[in-house]
Amino acid sequence: MTGAADKARAIIESYDGPALRIMEVCGTHTHEIFRLGIRGLLPPQVRLISGPGCPVCVTPPGFIDEAVMLGLEHDVTVCTFGDLVRVPGTDMSLAGARSKGARVQVVYSPLDAVDYARDHASEQVTFLSVGFETTTPANCLAVERADAAGLGNFSLLTANKTMPQAYQALKGSADAFLYPGHVCAITGTRAEEDLVGQGVSGVVCGFTAPEIMCALAIILRRSQEGRPFFANAYPRVVTREGNKGAQGLVARLMEPCDATWRGLGEIPGSGMRLRDAYAAYDARRKFDLPHVEGRSNPACRCGDVLRGACTPHDCPLFGKVCTPQHPVGACMVSGEGACSAYYQYGGEQL
Amino acid sequence: MCVGLPAKVVRVQEGTAVVDATGAQREVSAELLDDLEPGEYVMVHAGVAISRITSDDEDETDALLEELS
Ligand code: SF4
Repeated sequence: MTGAADKARAIIESYDGPALRIMEVCGTHTHEIFRLGIRGLLPPQVRLISGPGCPVCVTPPGFIDEAVMLGLEHDVTVCTFGDLVRVPGTDMSLAGARSKGARVQVVYSPLDAVDYARDHASEQVTFLSVGFETTTPANCLAVERADAAGLGNFSLLTANKTMPQAYQALKGSADAFLYPGHVCAITGTRAEEDLVGQGVSGVVCGFTAPEIMCALAIILRRSQEGRPFFANAYPRVVTREGNKGAQGLVARLMEPCDATWRGLGEIPGSGMRLRDAYAAYDARRKFDLPHVEGRSNPACRCGDVLRGACTPHDCPLFGKVCTPQHPVGACMVSGEGACSAYYQYGGEQL
Repeated sequence: MCVGLPAKVVRVQEGTAVVDATGAQREVSAELLDDLEPGEYVMVHAGVAISRITSDDEDETDALLEELS
């Protein structure tokens, strides 16, 4: 470990303050913290709990149902990040739809989906636009590019979400948040700073070992002051203003809407959808999709895991019926899901 | 899907940049960052450069921890 990490480690290990629950909002943090063995350094009264910061995990089954419907009933080529392919919908996943003849194309970037649409002019192509503020600008860029190229065969199925409303909804679940660094790279940190006024504490956190340890050290120190606090522990990437270009782009193409989060239910104003001017690129309007409620497996506790109300170990299916090879819920499917992290790194003992 | 990849800018042209992430080169969108220059480091997410990286994480964490003690 480096000098900085050693210093942070000393602060963490010597903590003797009150019990603390720290929520990793971002699924990548959950995985990195496990992978780096950071949980083992924490004193027993400090608990890390997983939060709702994996867009795949918080996307409700009804969204998968809509995507399946596009693929099977509307002959649309569904382009998506690979994580979504095996997430169960009410009756089937996209992998299931593919085995019934739907065209499901995995891409690395929404921009690749636009290239695909350009190269396959005879197909209708819909990109599954899930993600938080980090991903939403890329989705908007895709629409802008398709629009500039006059592509009539490209659209988005949106389930984009914004984080600040989720922090509010989760206020009582944690004493401090590890804020997701790449969301803040886009949004800046004003929303998180404002939350201090409402009693919500947290630190913007990067993704390397020294950065995560440093953010935890700051939380442990500042918690002892007994006042709500905010710090940006990722200033090499995150500024107070954020990425203005990205913010402007998203505001031009999209507007806030209510959104349903797996585990948190409907949170007013926490979603983003395309504005009327871009309705031609909105798959729901283009294909006149009905509203789908969707149902998940009643035994799956993803919803509680995402609120920090239980750990994956509390789910009776964990590691037995539900494994990364045979996932029952989104939290086990996604590479950033809490159940997949616990399964991969946590063993049975945590 | 939310994983960011730090990368060095190799070339910039008309809204795109060729970046090098630990030896692998790929083209990404540079439309969200003004006046990107070769040699700068950026965070890449889903094929888009989303922010500049302005220092080393070591320097940064050192400085932050100084403030704490
Ligand atoms: S272990 Fe599987 S079934 Fe249980 S909460 Fe996690 S994803 Fe859902």
